[in-house]
Amino acid sequence: MDSMIEAAIWFWIPLICVPIGIWLSISGKAKNQGNVLAVAGFILVLFSSWTVPSSDSTAAGHLLLSILAPSLLLTYGIHGMVFGGNVPVGKLDNTARWSGALATIISIVIFCLMHWYSFTPLWRNGEVNPYWIVFWPTFLLFSTSLCSLASFALIIFGDNRVGESIKLACLSVVMTGIALAAIIFDGYLTTAEEFRDYLWLAAADIIGTSVGVAMAIGAFAVVIFSYEKSLPPPKKSLPPSDEEIEHVVELASAHIRGEEE
Amino acid sequence: MSKPGSSWRILGLAAILPILVLVAIDISLGDDIHPESFKRFGNAVLTSYVLMGIILMGNLFFYADSRHRPMAPFVGMMFAVGVGILISWTLVSYQDLLLEANSGLRSQMLSNIVHLLVSGTAMLLASILAIGTTFATITGRKRRVLFEEEE
Repeated sequence: MDSMIEAAIWFWIPLICVPIGIWLSISGKAKNQGNVLAVAGFILVLFSSWTVPSSDSTAAGHLLLSILAPSLLLTYGIHGMVFGGNVPVGKLDNTARWSGALATIISIVIFCLMHWYSFTPLWRNGEVNPYWIVFWPTFLLFSTSLCSLASFALIIFGDNRVGESIKLACLSVVMTGIALAAIIFDGYLTTAEEFRDYLWLAAADIIGTSVGVAMAIGAFAVVIFSYEKSLPPPKKSLPPSDEEIEHVVELASAHIRGEEE
Repeated sequence: MSKPGSSWRILGLAAILPILVLVAIDISLGDDIHPESFKRFGNAVLTSYVLMGIILMGNLFFYADSRHRPMAPFVGMMFAVGVGILISWTLVSYQDLLLEANSGLRSQMLSNIVHLLVSGTAMLLASILAIGTTFATITGRKRRVLFEEEE
């Protein structure tokens, strides 16, 4: 079979199935079929480096599979940390907070070991997965940036949130420290020079993606605004009758005074 | 009390500052601006614009449910995405303006999508870490008693 068709069947079509499945699931039009389609597509993308090894694009699927375990651990940890605290709904046991914090720290340590120890994702012929050096600096830069943003946002918009803000600033500094270590020290299979090169590209990626997403949302807002503006004004309804006003006053007074109780 | 506009400016600075610090340290170590940075920026802008536009076009189905299924917003969004695709196609095929280490237009466009998949995953995970930790610090504080009756 032609390698292009193979790549289309085993990588690109499953990749397209993931957002379509999520869309079907969220829209409620075919919830179960949507979930099955999304999960099946995602699994096929993860294993695409085995099903269609000739395609370079499948390195992305291989990377996603390589980072799946620490990513799930990170998500589990964050879930435990959030819902182990004082939440009104869905509160977990108090120990979930500590186990969550531990899971989050371990997941970040695993990511570090993937850079500085032998856990680095290897792809064809024992070479480092080319997308690892895309993922790692982007993750570090963006988490540093977002933690800093959240830290300032808590001070600006929050009420007496200095303690929480300092904790987030500390996390931002820790992530900056990891990025600095990668800038200075060589990884297990990648050099500090390579990381520094990709740091520029990661910064360009983050800013470019943010600009592109903002432009798309802007275009969407313009389209919706133009359409809504072109609609004729809604017909004015008649004012309420005396009987209706009396009914509303009756309901309001019953709720405000609690006379029925 | 600070003005609302200045708050947003401070937030913008807070977001961009760590990136600038790291890049400044990189320059101080003797590195120059990576020659492919502009190409990466251009490709990231165009790819994310087109893909986000397609996702928002899917979102129009929810909007249409409450508006007797109008065609005009759908056509408008198709046009906006079409313009994005046309600009991408023109700029990528124009000499080597946006062409990275790929053999041609098709491989560059496919490479852009895969690249966005990876960098998008990195950004998603970073968002989970940062937003999750923010909520974890907020919910970690003991509940304050606002009224004596609560006790």
